[in-house]
Amino acid sequence: MLTVSVKWQKKVLEKVEVDTTQPPYVFKCQLFDLTGVPPERQKIMVKGGLLKDDADWTAIGVKQGQRLMMMGTADEIVKAPEKGPVFVEDLPEEEQVAAVGHTAGLLNLGNTCYMNSTVQCLHSVPELKSALLKYPSERRNEVDQTSHMLTAATRELFNELDKSVKAVAPMQFWMVLRKKYPQFGQMHNGYFMQQDAEECWTQLLYTLSQSLRGSSSGTSENADALKDVFGIELLSRVHCQESGEESSETESVYSLKCHISHEVNHMHEGLKHGLKSELEKASPALGRSAIFLKESRINALPRYLTVQFVRFFWKRESNQKAKILRKVDYPLELDVYDLCSEDLRKKLEAPRKLLRDEEGKKLGLKGKEKADSKDTDVKMTDAEGSSTASGESSKAATLSDGAPSDKEAQLTGVYELVSVLTHKGRSADSGHYVAWVKQENGKWIEFDDDSPIPQREEDIVKLSGGGDWHMAYICMYKARTVPM
Amino acid sequence: MTPEPNGASGSGATREEATVKVPAKDPKKKDEMKDDDLSDEDLALKQQLELYVERVQDADPGLQKVALESMRQEIRTSTSSMTSVPKPLKFLRPHYGTLKAYYETMGDSDLKKYLADVLSVLALTMSAEGERESLKYRLLGSEGDIGSWGHEYVRNLAGEIAQEYAKRQSEEAGIDDLTELVQQIVAFHMKHNAEPEAVDLLMEVEDLDLLIKHVDKTNFKRTCLYLTSAAKYIPGPDDLLVLDIAYMTDIKFEEYANALQIALFLDNLQYVKKVFTACDDVLRKKQFCYILGRQGITFELDEDMCADDEERYAMQDIINNAKLSEGYLALARDIEVMEPKSPEDIYKAHLLDGRASAGASVDSARQNLAATFVNAFVNAGFGQDKLMTVPSDSSTGGSSGNWLFKNKEHGKASAAASLGMILLWDVDSGLAQLDKYFHSNDNYVIAGALLGVGIVNCSVKNDCDPALALLADYVDKEDPFIRIGAIMGLGIAYAGAQNEQIREKLMPILTDTKTPLDVVAFTAISLGLIYVGSCNQDVAHAIIYALMDRSEAEFQDPLTKLLPLGLGLLFLGKQESVEATAEVSKTFNEKIRKYCDMTLLSFAYAGTGNVLKVQNLLGNCAQHLEKGENYQGPAVLGIAMVSMAEELGLDMAIRTLEHLLQYGEQNIRRSVPLALALLCLSNPKVNVMDTLSRLSHDTDAEVASAAIISLGLIGAGTNNARIAGMLRNLSSYYYKDATLLFCVRLAQGLVHLGKGLLTLNPYHSDRFLLSPVALAGLVTFLHACLEMKALVLGRYHIVLYFLVLAMQPRMLMTVDENLKPLSVPVRVGQAVDVVGQAGRPKTITGFQTHSTPVLLAAGDRAELATEKYIPLSPILEGFVILKENPDYQEES
Repeated sequence: MLTVSVKWQKKVLEKVEVDTTQPPYVFKCQLFDLTGVPPERQKIMVKGGLLKDDADWTAIGVKQGQRLMMMGTADEIVKAPEKGPVFVEDLPEEEQVAAVGHTAGLLNLGNTCYMNSTVQCLHSVPELKSALLKYPSERRNEVDQTSHMLTAATRELFNELDKSVKAVAPMQFWMVLRKKYPQFGQMHNGYFMQQDAEECWTQLLYTLSQSLRGSSSGTSENADALKDVFGIELLSRVHCQESGEESSETESVYSLKCHISHEVNHMHEGLKHGLKSELEKASPALGRSAIFLKESRINALPRYLTVQFVRFFWKRESNQKAKILRKVDYPLELDVYDLCSEDLRKKLEAPRKLLRDEEGKKLGLKGKEKADSKDTDVKMTDAEGSSTASGESSKAATLSDGAPSDKEAQLTGVYELVSVLTHKGRSADSGHYVAWVKQENGKWIEFDDDSPIPQREEDIVKLSGGGDWHMAYICMYKARTVPM
Repeated sequence: MTPEPNGASGSGATREEATVKVPAKDPKKKDEMKDDDLSDEDLALKQQLELYVERVQDADPGLQKVALESMRQEIRTSTSSMTSVPKPLKFLRPHYGTLKAYYETMGDSDLKKYLADVLSVLALTMSAEGERESLKYRLLGSEGDIGSWGHEYVRNLAGEIAQEYAKRQSEEAGIDDLTELVQQIVAFHMKHNAEPEAVDLLMEVEDLDLLIKHVDKTNFKRTCLYLTSAAKYIPGPDDLLVLDIAYMTDIKFEEYANALQIALFLDNLQYVKKVFTACDDVLRKKQFCYILGRQGITFELDEDMCADDEERYAMQDIINNAKLSEGYLALARDIEVMEPKSPEDIYKAHLLDGRASAGASVDSARQNLAATFVNAFVNAGFGQDKLMTVPSDSSTGGSSGNWLFKNKEHGKASAAASLGMILLWDVDSGLAQLDKYFHSNDNYVIAGALLGVGIVNCSVKNDCDPALALLADYVDKEDPFIRIGAIMGLGIAYAGAQNEQIREKLMPILTDTKTPLDVVAFTAISLGLIYVGSCNQDVAHAIIYALMDRSEAEFQDPLTKLLPLGLGLLFLGKQESVEATAEVSKTFNEKIRKYCDMTLLSFAYAGTGNVLKVQNLLGNCAQHLEKGENYQGPAVLGIAMVSMAEELGLDMAIRTLEHLLQYGEQNIRRSVPLALALLCLSNPKVNVMDTLSRLSHDTDAEVASAAIISLGLIGAGTNNARIAGMLRNLSSYYYKDATLLFCVRLAQGLVHLGKGLLTLNPYHSDRFLLSPVALAGLVTFLHACLEMKALVLGRYHIVLYFLVLAMQPRMLMTVDENLKPLSVPVRVGQAVDVVGQAGRPKTITGFQTHSTPVLLAAGDRAELATEKYIPLSPILEGFVILKENPDYQEES
């Protein structure tokens, strides 16, 4: 009887007897005893191939002391999991959106970046989206045809942006916009001209507020849906130094102007400037026109505060809107408390205190955590932003669903930056507009027409001007609220 | 005997004074100087010489003789200085004409010969360009000791001989008189540390055999070094002759390791055998085995080479790389990198802000596949990882299965095969781990397992031939992917083995008209790999047949382009042998004809540095393509393949490719990054890195993807921080583009290949030897990259595993006489080219001292920092056996 050695994994089984009169299956059974590998899973390599169960030993020519090699394990056989993983590549496009983490870009239809960036900024306001959703498809009498079409087109465009991964072409929207506001259809050398984004913003918002007025529920009490969201009520005191006359008036605007002069280095200063103005009007006391000083205070705050940098002024000699390149810093968190009227301040006291307490608590908590985890630095800023953001977005959702009740959320006068519309170039009708929008997950995305590019938060505040880089033109802030 | 007024000491002083003065002034001006500007000694010497000249022309032979003798004396004693024209020669210059004229009038006599000698020396400075009067008078002269006239004279003479020889060759005149002189000069040079000059002269007169007579123990090393380095720049077939001489010299002086290197360079197994039979030291033979193992050739020892059975088996094991895994793991343990790394450790996403993938909630098949490859590359050969191998304590076997099934369809094949990469070279555990996949009911998994078996066995040979035994049955299965897995596995496991059995198994597949195209393509490559550089006609015919058999439509398929690739591999580096096949390829369908032509040309001359072929390929790149032509890709790669042989050609090729980039059309721009990668494998040159970094942002996605992969290849196994940083930035730049991100991930995996312990460079042994198998694997992959979209980014990403053929540890592992690792101090530094330098120059610069095992980067060289041991290989790379130095004395 022959003996062979069998190498199996790292072991060598010495002196295994081979009965050459029996088929190799018997030999495999011997090995099963030694290794625990069932015969059908044994692969024994002899010169020229595998040892078959019914092979003839003599044909194989096994020699005394020959070394064979065996492969095989008693391991469990790998089975495919019942439910395979789902791959992004297999998902329909809508579901991929969630995976991408931000919405789609907008194709440039020929100098339409002013429009694209405006749309992207407004698109980030969920309240506007839900208001649009409620907008009926049939035109109501008080809304004129073109306004209705523009509103409907906006709704469709927002819808499409939410659904797709690839860039969207806002064809319909643009056509309707041009119809409603023919100035956007200006041509030059056969191309549509670049336009002022602020103009587009204002006009679009105006139209939407007109057509959405009273549309949501049809009742008069919730007459102006957008006014809650964007409207700022200003209480102005107009007085004439000459005559000592004084009067007060209230007005509602959709944005605060940030005037840029030589003293202005920060947005807050610019806003203060913007709330003061001189005007010439007829003075009944003097019987002639006189200089009146108008000082405004905010009397009611919106949920979204829009600040426009007055960067462009009409330059007569060159016949274009020239740009002020001055660097004006703006904060990620804006407190407009000192711009408010006395009444409003009083109203804000309580919510502000609550907010401060909450923040203090959070910091205390974080301080404790700091000892445990190393990366609190990141977390701190991050968590703060995102937790409030998420808390708020859920609240915002409830807010927009029903009528806002004072019980649920109170404005605090503190705002956080959610989107920036920037301009790059030397005049309003040229250059390039881009929107920088904070997503629901707290990440910033730069929407440069069709390509959304992720950005870091610290880079957002660097868009404050002072060079030829993108600089903020319109900033939109979202109110921080506290439940009361 | 000579009337010399000032005496020897006086003239010596003059000379010293003169040499101090001379360099400051223009020599021409000095000639015109008036006598009174000269110092007294110079004046005396000048008058003395003038007197001699006069006396030489005297009628009295006695006086003539004395004058000549003294003139000779003056010249000989003064030729030592090299910085200026020696004084006596200078003063004799005006009389050269007179002496020459007088020489013609003299009758034959000893004196005439003497004068000829003097004239020969004077001609050194006086002879007009191309007149070769020095040689002329030398031949007419007294044939005395040539060295007595000084080194400069001999060198000049050698130069004139070379010119004269060339002239006589064209006139077909005799050269016997020259030969005599050459003998003298060579003997002189060889004695005086001027081996390069001797070799140069002999090469000029095409009589290199003479050299053997003159080499001795003291100068053979420098001679051989010069010969082998010069061979790179000599056009064939002379270079082979030169190497032959070097080989014989090495054998003569028992420098067997060097002889073996040359034998391997010549790819002459007969010579290899001779080395083994000539050497009778078992330990040294073992060292030879290590060298053979690194070269990756199949070589069987027989009883003539080693009589002792036991020893022979041990040595065969070394050649078979059976212990490669062990050594590699020992290195890894020493450097403490055994801890497995996950793809996330490589991506280092935390260093990127904001842009990291936002949606990690859903698996992406693309990214999972990338992670599979990264995991395989990074943990290659370590036997453990975090995705595929099960941690020993968990008995479920679940985790590996889980990751495997996180890949989609053909991705599963690559995932299963990646296990083979992780267990690279460790056949025993590798087969055990792969076994479970053989019983899967998923065809892709089985295909991957088959390929994995091939990968595990890559460059490791085993008596039982497990790869063949396991894979052979699957070659003829129904499922094409299983067949591909098995065929490619065989190709990788038996690359260079020229295994008849496999050939018989695979050839029918090529000729069977029913075989799907992809199977045919991979069969052609596998056969090409197995018979790499063999010029095997049978295989060539089979591939040619398969190519001719393709239908018109199939020529459009990128897979068809892999057939010429298989054909080319057969002739890798075999130069003229390809010509017959190249003729046949001219009859191919026009869609593939030019492509095939370029491929064959570039493969046949790969690693030869043949400039004519580079020109030819460049010429093809300058053509404007007709519609549907596509041959420029292989032509661009071919430039790199041919010129990668040595550093100068390589730098030149890099510049040339830069130009192609600027002026070439898009299809050329797409292949340039790949060519650059081939030139700088695992050797991240800064200029190439910058070029590729620029191209990685190219607007053309194919250029960008090729550049990104190339970045990975040039940094392969280096852990280069700069490339890693570039790739990290690219990963955020391309975070949205799944395809390019996939390429970035692959490149990141490559940069950290084997956690930085591996290299892809096919050149080894001080960049002298080229491993054909490694090169074959690389060019196969690069050719596949020419069709990136269809192959690497499509269904056939398994082509990435061809890189395994080139993967080798970049280590120096010193072992003792029992082949156990032995730690000794070594100096590692930048290699210095010492060819043709006098004395014993330092071979490395900027070195640091480490203890072995150590890693060697591209261009690094190591030397022992202790006298205690003697290395048995002159080149410290890979495994080196150390012998104790019997003369060593411990320093107290």
